[in-house]
Amino acid sequence: MSAIVVDMGLLDTELGKRRLLTIEIPAIEKYNDGRDPEFRISATRVGLSLVLRYDLKPMHNIYRLETRLLSSYPSVPPDTRILSPMKHCPHLLEGQTLCLWRQGSVRATSRWDPSKFTAVFAVQAAWRWLACYEIWHETGEWPLPEAK
Amino acid sequence: MSQLFQVGVGSGGILILDSLLRDPRITHYTIVDPDIYKPHNVHRHLFPTSCVGRLKVDLAADWIHQHRPEIKVNALPLDLLAPESQSRISNEVAACDLGLCAVDAERAKYHFDALLRKHHKPWTLGEVLSGGIGGWAHRFVPTGPCYGCVASFLQREVKEAETAPPSNYTNPVPQTAEESIPASKASIAAIAALHANVTLEILDKAIPPTPLSLLLTLKQVPGVFEAAYRTHRFAIPRSSTCLLCSEVTKPIPEESLDEALDHALARLGRE
Repeated sequence: MSAIVVDMGLLDTELGKRRLLTIEIPAIEKYNDGRDPEFRISATRVGLSLVLRYDLKPMHNIYRLETRLLSSYPSVPPDTRILSPMKHCPHLLEGQTLCLWRQGSVRATSRWDPSKFTAVFAVQAAWRWLACYEIWHETGEWPLPEAK
Repeated sequence: MSQLFQVGVGSGGILILDSLLRDPRITHYTIVDPDIYKPHNVHRHLFPTSCVGRLKVDLAADWIHQHRPEIKVNALPLDLLAPESQSRISNEVAACDLGLCAVDAERAKYHFDALLRKHHKPWTLGEVLSGGIGGWAHRFVPTGPCYGCVASFLQREVKEAETAPPSNYTNPVPQTAEESIPASKASIAAIAALHANVTLEILDKAIPPTPLSLLLTLKQVPGVFEAAYRTHRFAIPRSSTCLLCSEVTKPIPEESLDEALDHALARLGRE
C-alpha cells in the first residue's frame, strides 16, 4: 500500500483551527490561569507552526523551553526543545530536543495519543523530563529505568 | 447505484478495487493516489513491467474500464494531505456513498477519518501488518468511534515523522531508518479480501452499517500471535472524551474561525 506524507495545516484548515480554538487554546488558558506570569505559556505563529514558549522550574533551576506544534499536529506529536544551555545528557537529542515520543521507546507514556493529549500534556511531559534531568545531574542515574 | 471514494491503489488497494468493481451495485468510482508505478511495484502488483512510469490511478482506471466499462471513473493523481487538493477531495467525498482507505501513513488515516466524518459517510480501512503476519479490516460509521478512538484503544504509536529513524540512547542520531518487513502478495491479498468484504456489507443498505474491527492472523509469531488463521473481533467503543470526534462545547461558525483564532492567539502572544 502506498504512503502519502505531506504537511497539512493546523493553522490553515478548518479542522486545524477548530482543534486550536476548542481544545488546545482553552487547555493552555486553563494552564495559565492563576499561574505566575513568568511561568505562563505564550503562543506565536511561526509560518504554519504554532510555537509555545514557557519557563519550567521542576526543582532547583528555571529552564526556558519551546514546544512546536507543526502543521501536521496533532496526528504528529509536538516537538519540545530546551532553549537554556544544558549539560550533555544521553536523553537529550540533537538541538537540545527532548526525547519524549521517540520511536523505539517501550514506555506507555512515550506513546503520543492525539485523541487524548493536548499541547499542555507535552509541557507536563517536559516538566517530568527536567525533573529526571536534575536527578541525573546530581546522581548520575536517570530515575526512570525503563527509559534507559 | 453506489459511488465509491478510494484513496491508495498500491499493492493492497488495487486488489480491493479489483474485488469491488465486480459488484453491479457500483456505478461510480473515484480513485486518489499521486504515485507513479515503479519497477519495485511489479512483483506485488497487478500490472506488468510495461506499465512502469504510468500513474497508478490511470492504471487502476484502465483496469476498471476493461472489466466494467459502464462505471464512471474519476482518477485523481492527488496527495490526500496536500492543501491544494483539499477542495477537490472534499467535493468527491461529499458525492460518494462510502470511502475506502488503503494507505499506510498514520497521518493520512487521521485525515481520511476527519474528511469522511465531516461529510457523515461510512468508510473502511485495511492494514497489513509488517511481515504479512496478519492484518486488520476496520469499518467506521459517522456515529461510531473515529480512527483516533480505535488507534487509542489499540494503543498505537504515532511517530514523530513517518520517515524518522529510530532513537537509540547509545546512538541518538542514527543514520538508518527503521526496517519494515514487506508482506507477501498472498498476505496482502488475504487482508484485501477481508477489507473488500467488510466494505461490500455497507452496500447492503437494508442493514445499517455498524462499526467493526477485525484482526486476521496469518502467521504464528511467538509472543504476538499464538496461531495462524485466527480472527479476532473487537468491539471498540466511541470515547466520550476523544479530542478528535467528541462534540465541541462551543460551535464556531466557519466564517468566524480566523477572527476567533486571531483574538485567541493575541491573548497568548505575550513574551
